[in-house]
Amino acid sequence: MDVNQDGRLDVLSGSYSRQQKTMAGLFHVAPGLGEGRFGPIEILRGVDGNPLILAFQKGDAVRQTVRICTRQSVVDLDGDGKLDLVTGNFAGAFSWFRGVDKGSFAAESEPLPSEGELAVPAHSDPFLVDWDADGDLDLVSGSAQGGVYCMRNVGSKTSPKFAERVVLVPPVVDPHAESSVFGDGHLRGPQGDTRVYVDDVDGDGKLDLLVGDCVAVNELPKGVDEADAMAKLAAWTTKYQAHISTAPRSNDEGAMDAWQKGYEALEAERKLFCTQVRTGFVWLFRQQ
Amino acid sequence: MLMTSTFLLAAIAAFPQEPRFHAPERMVSDGEPISVESPGYASPCWADVDGDGKKDLLVGQFNKGKVAVYRGLSDGKLAARAWLKAGGKVAEFPDVW
Repeated sequence: MDVNQDGRLDVLSGSYSRQQKTMAGLFHVAPGLGEGRFGPIEILRGVDGNPLILAFQKGDAVRQTVRICTRQSVVDLDGDGKLDLVTGNFAGAFSWFRGVDKGSFAAESEPLPSEGELAVPAHSDPFLVDWDADGDLDLVSGSAQGGVYCMRNVGSKTSPKFAERVVLVPPVVDPHAESSVFGDGHLRGPQGDTRVYVDDVDGDGKLDLLVGDCVAVNELPKGVDEADAMAKLAAWTTKYQAHISTAPRSNDEGAMDAWQKGYEALEAERKLFCTQVRTGFVWLFRQQ
Repeated sequence: MLMTSTFLLAAIAAFPQEPRFHAPERMVSDGEPISVESPGYASPCWADVDGDGKKDLLVGQFNKGKVAVYRGLSDGKLAARAWLKAGGKVAEFPDVW
């Protein structure tokens, strides 16, 4: 996206936290120099010269997660000719910093205008596109639980207001479930922590979805027989699920320590016949 | 538990035209599925980053905040991975997702 509107694409990223007392993510931009070259990464600042940081909003209950920013989109959301910065956060909400000038944004963020609750199940991932082809920008997002959602703009091109989410791609039943097979050949679509980009990728005139994800894949350690490992993994999975179901629900530190030791012992046991690798893939959903 | 991923063709009553998708397919480069380094969190972007008129696939990742670039080729395929550079070195966005 061309954050500073100089005609060259820039790369923009959110971040988890600036690692100070309170959790608060910063926005970073690598300014485009043209032909695929980028200048050094800079912190994005507001009109007051301070780094842009998500503001607390009225009613924010989970204060540790609302200022952790996820992904951003830079678009002219209110049709005033200035690019606005729309961002998600850990908690799953959506906010924007109104554009003031080229590459310059208001110091304070505001929640995106909505009809009701505007959120996804954590890790909101805003992408703005005219999904329903009615002339204004709609909101598309992934989430920590996976899936892809759309929140239609039921306001206007100059006064956006977003409706509650509807499902474009259903989330998997349990995106963080332990796999009982080896390799990634069994995967048929994105798992959890989905990140979405919308474009006509295949050039047929219809918008498609590119969906990134996060998944744990089991690999066979060197010298381990696959059939033997499969049997051990099946037995291990049963034990693991039983252990997970006994997780302490109270704040009893002793019980939690004992449970954690049991969990770590199970992890060590699995490593004897199975190496787990975390990765993520990019899936293309072509629209019919 | 087997990770079951049943992707129903999406249907949304709220839209004038219900969008439907073909079964998802993994994006590939050099004949291999595109993947990110541990611990995952692939974040794709589709843009003509090198200005050659063909769109490229950029994939952000959690590890070191690096961004992979898969250049779009004239045959519609994607080139092998290169890391995005900023300021002359591999770009690492701080404290990234």
